[in-house]
Amino acid sequence: MTYDHSRRSFLRTASLGAAGAFLATRLPQDALAQEAMIERAKDPRFLIVLSSFGGANQVDAFLSRRESEIPNAATLNAYPDSLVQTIGEFRAIDLKSPTIGAIPASFTANQSNFVRKHMNDMMVVTHTGTSVNHYVAQQRSINGNAAWQGRTLQEAVALSYGAGYAIPNVHLVNGTGFTERGTDSTLPAYAYGERAPVPNLWPLSLDGYKGIAGAPSRNLFEKARKFRNEQLDPSSDFFKTFGGSQRIKYWSDIRGDALRGVEAADLITKLMLFPDSEEMPLAAHGLQGSAIGQKVREAFPNYEFDPLEAQAALAFMLLRYGVSVTVTIGPEGSAVFKKGVKLGEGGLGEGDIVNPPISFDFSHQANREVQALMWNRQLSIADRLASLLKSEEFRDGQSFWDRSMIYFATEFGRTRRRPNNAMTFGSGHELNNGSLIVSPLANGGRVLGGVNTADMLTFGFDPQSGKPEPGRHMTEPEMYAGIAHALGVDTAGSNLPDMRAMRRSA
Amino acid sequence: MTKPAFLKLIAMTALAAACTTAPEPAGLQLAVEAAAPVASADPRVKFKDGERYLRDLSAGLNIPREEICKELSRYDCMTDAFRIVLGGVEAPNLTVHQPIETAALTSPIAVDRLALHVCTSRVRRDKEKPADAVLFKAGAFGKNGAAKAPERTWLNSTADAIYGSILLRSPSEREIQNLTTYYAQVADGRPANSTEVAADWVTLSCFAVASSLEAVFY
Repeated sequence: MTYDHSRRSFLRTASLGAAGAFLATRLPQDALAQEAMIERAKDPRFLIVLSSFGGANQVDAFLSRRESEIPNAATLNAYPDSLVQTIGEFRAIDLKSPTIGAIPASFTANQSNFVRKHMNDMMVVTHTGTSVNHYVAQQRSINGNAAWQGRTLQEAVALSYGAGYAIPNVHLVNGTGFTERGTDSTLPAYAYGERAPVPNLWPLSLDGYKGIAGAPSRNLFEKARKFRNEQLDPSSDFFKTFGGSQRIKYWSDIRGDALRGVEAADLITKLMLFPDSEEMPLAAHGLQGSAIGQKVREAFPNYEFDPLEAQAALAFMLLRYGVSVTVTIGPEGSAVFKKGVKLGEGGLGEGDIVNPPISFDFSHQANREVQALMWNRQLSIADRLASLLKSEEFRDGQSFWDRSMIYFATEFGRTRRRPNNAMTFGSGHELNNGSLIVSPLANGGRVLGGVNTADMLTFGFDPQSGKPEPGRHMTEPEMYAGIAHALGVDTAGSNLPDMRAMRRSA
Repeated sequence: MTKPAFLKLIAMTALAAACTTAPEPAGLQLAVEAAAPVASADPRVKFKDGERYLRDLSAGLNIPREEICKELSRYDCMTDAFRIVLGGVEAPNLTVHQPIETAALTSPIAVDRLALHVCTSRVRRDKEKPADAVLFKAGAFGKNGAAKAPERTWLNSTADAIYGSILLRSPSEREIQNLTTYYAQVADGRPANSTEVAADWVTLSCFAVASSLEAVFY
């Protein structure tokens, strides 16, 4: 597909304001496709991928089972009856533990508060994956095992709705398969994920000039860029020899309209989460923090030391300021401790471990404790994100949340067996699991599928009615299709299955 | 003498010979053709990752690597701020083991910031210690400072210093012409013989060359 940068395009998109400036440079040549793209840019949906590294296990949360419900409960991961709450169609485990396996670190974890607050937007869908390799399974959780020419869900959403957005697809968590670029190379550049690895300093890369002390004026700086692009580079022997390189063509393209659009939006200020401080001397360099920084920092007060809170805070700002339509965040592999905790000085206090090493995958050492701690962490992040998005109007009385989805992407589940009646035990990787999706766009309040009492593995459901179907296993392409359809992504020509049961209107 | 300059000399010699003799000797004609850049049939270039880029500028512009580019006066531009978007890796904390395959949308902005940081720093140092100046050297307006605009020799030698320090080659006549003509744009209504204008011209010429395609790719 080729893309049209004509004056006519600018005129057709002028009414969209800042969004129109990006849109005009990204429109396809085909007139019908142009119309569709403009309409979708006006009416976007937002996808937040909250990656859950290590296997977020549904039977330790919303599909948990009581020992009294499972015939072989002593050797399967069924919980004492007193720990399992039933709220609507969901289950919830609230757990207080003095240790995390062998680690003497007490904590209190809660799932029921989230379920009570968000159950109308919660949808749990069962499925069975195809890999227990972390990286491969992470990729498949977002590309549906190459369900649609290898494009990821984030890329599909960016392509559908992101043409009018400065940086439609931003990856704030790094080094995981959840943020691996898809294999569909036919997409326009703006659909692929942009890495934003350091939330405090990344906004500086959104303006080439601001904050550089002693530099000549901005006006002169822009003239220097123009001089470089239009005179200096084209006249060099290097360009005459290698100017046909795809890398050089791409570079020349993105340092043009795309770059100017990003800078014109003053994102270096709008997305500056951190306030002026000794650590971040903004004012001394002619910079300032975001106008909504205070509100976001209050929601995520640990942003200074907890990478996930910093990611979530910046993710909200990216959506709120109309920079992106999809953001990917998630816990990383490193342990996170509460601020001020000193290791090796006499043990850990209540809640000192914010994130165990290797996140959910630390379930190898202590399945129940880690699942409880990590679910608590993920749900807390999702709750605060949803609350922030609800507090901001998108248009005509609709909030940003009304158009958003949080998808808890994970690789796989955890094995169900345990030593006889053990409360603390390790688990392995298990293909069978399910996913949590929280969104007003999804078929909320529903568990789609169920749990076998014999082995505690999940079973599937009818894609149209959502009726449980023991013996059926939902596939990765079906999950991909259900999420894409709930978000209203145009999947014409994709041959994806119709997963009506996963949509709000089902 | 650099390779392009050598080829240029051969070409000019050949051109002079061609004007005074006939018919053209076959060997000289070949030399003329070799001097003109030819578009590569299979142009393949690599992005110079941020660390290599800053080390090259550090060596060329004589600024210690650890001082050459600091965001907010305290964070290294490459190591702390833009490592990933500038093609670096960071395994221990971010678990990024491979550089990005395609430039990020923010990569050109980050490169511009690095180039502007470095060139602003170089000119500031040149002003502070004229005896050790690398790019912004005294003498722009003649011995008495009475000239109405920078002297041609100063402009040419500065252009030569910029190209020599950053791209490690001499500029072509066309490139010198481009830079000297650009001086008027930088003056932008200000007195052409002000030190401020001259310093801005050096800073921005340095920036333009340091962020040029030739500086960023290899």
